Amino acid sequence: MVDLKQRPVARKAAGRTPPERPRLRDRVSRVEVRWSPYLFIAPFFVIFAVFGLFPLVYTAWVSLHDWDITGAGAFVGLDNYVTLFADPDFWNSVYNTVGMLVLATVPQLLMALVLASLLNQRLRAVTFFRMGVLLPIVTSVAAVGIVFSQIFDRDAGMVNGLLGLVNVDAVDWRADKWSSWTAISTMVNWRWTGYNSLIYLAAMQAIPRDLYEAATVDGAGKIRQFWSITVPNIRPAIVFTVVMSTIAGMQLFTEPLIFGQGSFAISGGSLRQFQTVSMYMFEKAFRDFDYGYGSAVAWMIFLLITLLGVVNFLITRRSR
Amino acid sequence: MGVRPGRALLATTLLGSLVAMSACGGGAAGSASGDVTLIVKTFSQFGYDELYEEYEASHPGIKIKEENIGKLGDYTPKLQQWLATGKGAGDVVAIEEGILSQFMAKPDQFVNLLDHGAEELSGNFLPWKWQQASTPDGSKVVGLGTDVGAQGMCYRKDLFEAAGLPTDREAVGALWPTWDKYLETGKLFKSRRPDIGFYDSTGSVYLNMLMQSGDHTYYDASNKLVIDSNTAVRTTWNASIDMVKAGLSANIEQWSPQWNAGFKNGTFATIPCPSWMLGTIEKQAGPENKGKWDVTRVPGDGAVRGGSFLAVPTQSTHQKEAAELAKFLTSAKGQTAAFKAKNNFPSSPQAIDDPAVRDFKNPYFNDAPVGKIFGDSVKALKPVYLGPDNNAIGDRVGNALLAVEQGKLQPDEAWAKAVDDAKRLTK
Amino acid sequence: MITRKTQPLLYATLLVGIVLSAFPLYWLFVVATRSNDVVGDWPPPLAPGENLWDNLGRLFAAEDANFLLGMGNSLLTSAVVTVSVVFFSSLAGFAFAKLKFRGRNGLLLVILATMMIPVQMGIIPLYMIMVELGWQNRMEAIVVPALVSAFGVFLMRQYAEQAVPDELIEAARIDGCSTFRIFWSIVLPALRPGAAVLALTTFMGTWNEFLWPLAVLEADNPTVQFSLSQLSTTYYTDYTLMFTGALVATVPLLLVFIAFGRQIIGGIMEGAVKA
Repeated sequence: MVDLKQRPVARKAAGRTPPERPRLRDRVSRVEVRWSPYLFIAPFFVIFAVFGLFPLVYTAWVSLHDWDITGAGAFVGLDNYVTLFADPDFWNSVYNTVGMLVLATVPQLLMALVLASLLNQRLRAVTFFRMGVLLPIVTSVAAVGIVFSQIFDRDAGMVNGLLGLVNVDAVDWRADKWSSWTAISTMVNWRWTGYNSLIYLAAMQAIPRDLYEAATVDGAGKIRQFWSITVPNIRPAIVFTVVMSTIAGMQLFTEPLIFGQGSFAISGGSLRQFQTVSMYMFEKAFRDFDYGYGSAVAWMIFLLITLLGVVNFLITRRSR
Repeated sequence: MGVRPGRALLATTLLGSLVAMSACGGGAAGSASGDVTLIVKTFSQFGYDELYEEYEASHPGIKIKEENIGKLGDYTPKLQQWLATGKGAGDVVAIEEGILSQFMAKPDQFVNLLDHGAEELSGNFLPWKWQQASTPDGSKVVGLGTDVGAQGMCYRKDLFEAAGLPTDREAVGALWPTWDKYLETGKLFKSRRPDIGFYDSTGSVYLNMLMQSGDHTYYDASNKLVIDSNTAVRTTWNASIDMVKAGLSANIEQWSPQWNAGFKNGTFATIPCPSWMLGTIEKQAGPENKGKWDVTRVPGDGAVRGGSFLAVPTQSTHQKEAAELAKFLTSAKGQTAAFKAKNNFPSSPQAIDDPAVRDFKNPYFNDAPVGKIFGDSVKALKPVYLGPDNNAIGDRVGNALLAVEQGKLQPDEAWAKAVDDAKRLTK
Repeated sequence: MITRKTQPLLYATLLVGIVLSAFPLYWLFVVATRSNDVVGDWPPPLAPGENLWDNLGRLFAAEDANFLLGMGNSLLTSAVVTVSVVFFSSLAGFAFAKLKFRGRNGLLLVILATMMIPVQMGIIPLYMIMVELGWQNRMEAIVVPALVSAFGVFLMRQYAEQAVPDELIEAARIDGCSTFRIFWSIVLPALRPGAAVLALTTFMGTWNEFLWPLAVLEADNPTVQFSLSQLSTTYYTDYTLMFTGALVATVPLLLVFIAFGRQIIGGIMEGAVKA
């Protein structure tokens, strides 16, 4: 056994003049280097092929049919998609989803960045603070929904109560787009800010201290250092959180569902003020029992997110 | 150092076997003795536990297992999934009235109960209840009725007294022989107690009136969408709008936390209440409000909201035994037992007239003779035909009413939107 | 470094953050100690009441909810899924970040794309697979599809890219280490903080999973979220009971969090000291 960590440089130097080795072993090792990456990623793709790909393909097939509650009906070709393109409720849900995505992602990631850089300072009780900001993710979505529904209630909610103290009229949070989006985005932000800040923090910890020391010597201030050293150095983490927030935002489902009330909560408000695409899909597939149409919605969501994902990917590659 | 690309594979295998060991529960049905296990799928509470025991005792070799899902909203996607995949529906499934109408157009997923001697049972059910689960030509019966959502009107005695209205349930019932009179009473109430809603939300009042307004609503008997040509629907809508305009609504959505709190805090004075809602009111209002709530007749000629059926899916491997069990559970005796267990009001005339139901008084509601009130309500009712997308259209009309309540749409805009939504839904 | 003057401001900001973070959890606790009629009260109750034991009694006695079994099932599935996801994600994430192979970018895109499939839609086709495998109402149905995670692969790839120096891998190669050996003795230790984050979120995610368990399991063999949903029935809403359930269902997460949270944060701090 070789202790790798102690003498990497020496080994590297020695590597330049290939030592004599048995041929077979050499060949095996070349094969190993070439094929082991595939082996490493194989578990993912095998399980995905069974439990991910099939549903996707199946959904595509269903979306070409007229389904009812009892199962497959007639083949209707692209009819569901044609209807979908002219469906104002669908586009309304896309609009809502993107709106809440922006309201939930931008403030969240900015807050997370600030929080992470605060936590990256020398602090007393550092574990307490770091764990404290992570607390929200242990709360289940259901509990979050129930608690925040109370907080944003029209008649007895805490926010309206506080607004009342400064003589602002009570807001019917579910009645308008802006108010319902705000309430729902608050839930998402509350739940995930601490988590994202932890990801940033982990990345910040990996930045060599001497970069900062050099910058300090050069006379760069704290804020300058933050933008020109910290942010560029944690770019992979930022890309990750942006992509993940986008994907999660496009699939936003439980929070608005619980925020909505009554037996038709899936419609996201009386005029679908806060119905997301996932909710619309669920409504069509499992409440109106139009599984074919719901599948078409699912595929549209998939395409929309893929589009966003590709854009994300291209931007990050370009700026590399 | 050797080459070990096999490690990852080994790890996968190990993990796989670990998973295999973690299997729990859900074992195979039936046992070595050749018993038949019947699986009954229900939602909410059907109150059948004692009936199962009795049935198992009188039918050796039959075991019954009920698989229950708490919420109807969680249950229906599962039902859809079982039927679509042809597996998992068990032997007897409960179907709610609004979902049943989906199946009636294509009932081939269910056993024809006429093949299992259901014909002679038709007299055991209210005629319209029997009709709801029969195909139009009467050649097939998909389900047997369980309960009906018999309607009464619940009201707060203390709030009525504070508004100078009568509090005795006969006198209160006499205030509103019709919904017009109910509106007038509401206006009077609001003029004296403007801070309190006369009822909780307009949607439930609308639904009540609609179910009394003729033999069909959004669809005619040939499943044609008639929401904009059936004047009964529009009339009901207009009557509801009048109530909104009069400010009767507390604008509290049903099943929200505030609705629950409203029973205790007295944020609304009346609520159209199906029999099963009495338990909810008692729980939410709490023991300290015992006697404040009372029940009287609903305006108009009786009403029902909701109610369920038992059906046997064709995927059952014990169709004969399952049909027998469904017949037993929906018999007058079974329905009476379910009423006693969980307040599910019977759909069988014999059960409704059973003294155990007929003479039942609810102590929480000042000993209101609820068996009689609900029984009269059910018997006065004329059957209403519901079409395939009845529930989905109802959802949309309800949302339109809510938008009017919220002040987001003018009544005419909201109506146009509801009609438009209904048309798009049915294409 | 932060100056003495800004110190109090820093602490104050963080404290506000902590209070905001913790409040909903605290409120969960408050309602769980009260009786059912408290929801919707104004002003809302902010101090615990006396009904906790009563509520707990009702919770574990609630018929059809099978709360204890649900907790056990969730612990088991969450643990197995977490171990598996962390292992396979690290492995694949390392491959994508540090190894060169044909089709790398394309396959990574595929992984990204798989995250974009709306989960709610998979219910019926997934259920069909489970019917074929005979896994209805069995924990395999919960565990096996979740053994790998696109999210995890992506997270570990992003993390590995920055946390593992290429020179280290190169040097190990020249020493004749197999790729798996490099992964096991060099990469995995370096990935530990990222892996800990992934472990925590995977555990939480599996624990909180709701739609799929509801679709494939029955009430007699539930997961904890399933049990929670069983607590409230169609025509009946008992909020205190739900809050109590949500509270009890959160306690194991809190324990895991306290145990592993310290480790994660400890790991990160260690890294900080070394760097």
